[in-house]
Amino acid sequence: MNRIKSLKITILVIGILLILVIIRNLDRNVFKEKAKTAVDAVRNNSNVITVNQLKKLTAPYLIIDIGSESRPDSLQFQHAVKIAFSQLLDKANRKILNDAKGELILYADDVATASRAWVILNQLGYKNLRILTFENNPEELKYKFQPDTTARLEQDSF
Amino acid sequence: MDARIKYSLLLVGIGIILAFLPYNATDAFRLKSDELLSKSASEENYLSVDQVARMVNKEDSTIMLIDLRETAQFKECNIPGSINIPFSDLLNPWWEGTFNQKKIKKIFYGNGDQTANCAWAIVTGLGYKNSFVMKGGLNEWFKTVMLSQFRGEKITPLENALYETRFNARKAFTQINSLPDSLKRQYFKAKEIKQLKLDGGCQ
Repeated sequence: MNRIKSLKITILVIGILLILVIIRNLDRNVFKEKAKTAVDAVRNNSNVITVNQLKKLTAPYLIIDIGSESRPDSLQFQHAVKIAFSQLLDKANRKILNDAKGELILYADDVATASRAWVILNQLGYKNLRILTFENNPEELKYKFQPDTTARLEQDSF
Repeated sequence: MDARIKYSLLLVGIGIILAFLPYNATDAFRLKSDELLSKSASEENYLSVDQVARMVNKEDSTIMLIDLRETAQFKECNIPGSINIPFSDLLNPWWEGTFNQKKIKKIFYGNGDQTANCAWAIVTGLGYKNSFVMKGGLNEWFKTVMLSQFRGEKITPLENALYETRFNARKAFTQINSLPDSLKRQYFKAKEIKQLKLDGGCQ
């Protein structure tokens, strides 16, 4: 008994730490994945799916439309749900994301919005998450720079 | 009880708790998801190519343009004054000092919108402030700045100012990117020295 008494401060400190860790882990707003997982997926281009690839997809999927005025005819898919980007993490919407079977496919008119949503959900631990794009490589430079061989900088620049 | 035993028990206890933490706190985002979502939904962290062109023309020292493309693409052409941080190298601790500069606006761009926005979300999630994205990336830069033309008979003062901004940015872009690599290096070195002098540093 005396031993336990003399250890009470130690037990108290460990107890408080344990409670803080549990509280932090139960907080659904805390990101748990490593940032590297997002970087690797973007680098490997494994975070995008084209419309053609989607049409051929046999596995179950759910399209999360996070910001389009009206979906074009080519994108009238059966398994789609509309969620405003700013409400993506609301309790009800999280339930939709958690209950979804198969791939989660993010779509927005603006690929910038879809990309940001992808990073947030990826870092929250959602797997099988991809961005729907129209192009095979949305990061391709569509223009070719033509150097001007007569261009000279002012001598005093150097 | 011996104080050493108490401290040992305390350390072992803390060690066990840390060992069971389900994520690596140093590599995980510091912002909470709802914070990052509300920042992401804001339009304030986007800059148009015209805004960037204006800053390039002014040689604005409060901005840092970060080209996220691979080095070979960067060498081919880039917006004057940019530094190259390939997306694959984004988490290299070497860049910590760059992202940590709170007073400098870090403006990310790639060829399109995807890479830059992913980089923005990652960097912002990791807790670095004052980051922006050049909307549309280099594709938009080429479309708006490099290929801009004035059509019509009359031009309003506003259109004229916009055209002039684009024209000057295009000129700078073409001049710098047309230089042979050796001269480009000289130019950037000269610019670095000039900047050091302005900042009151010494070489």
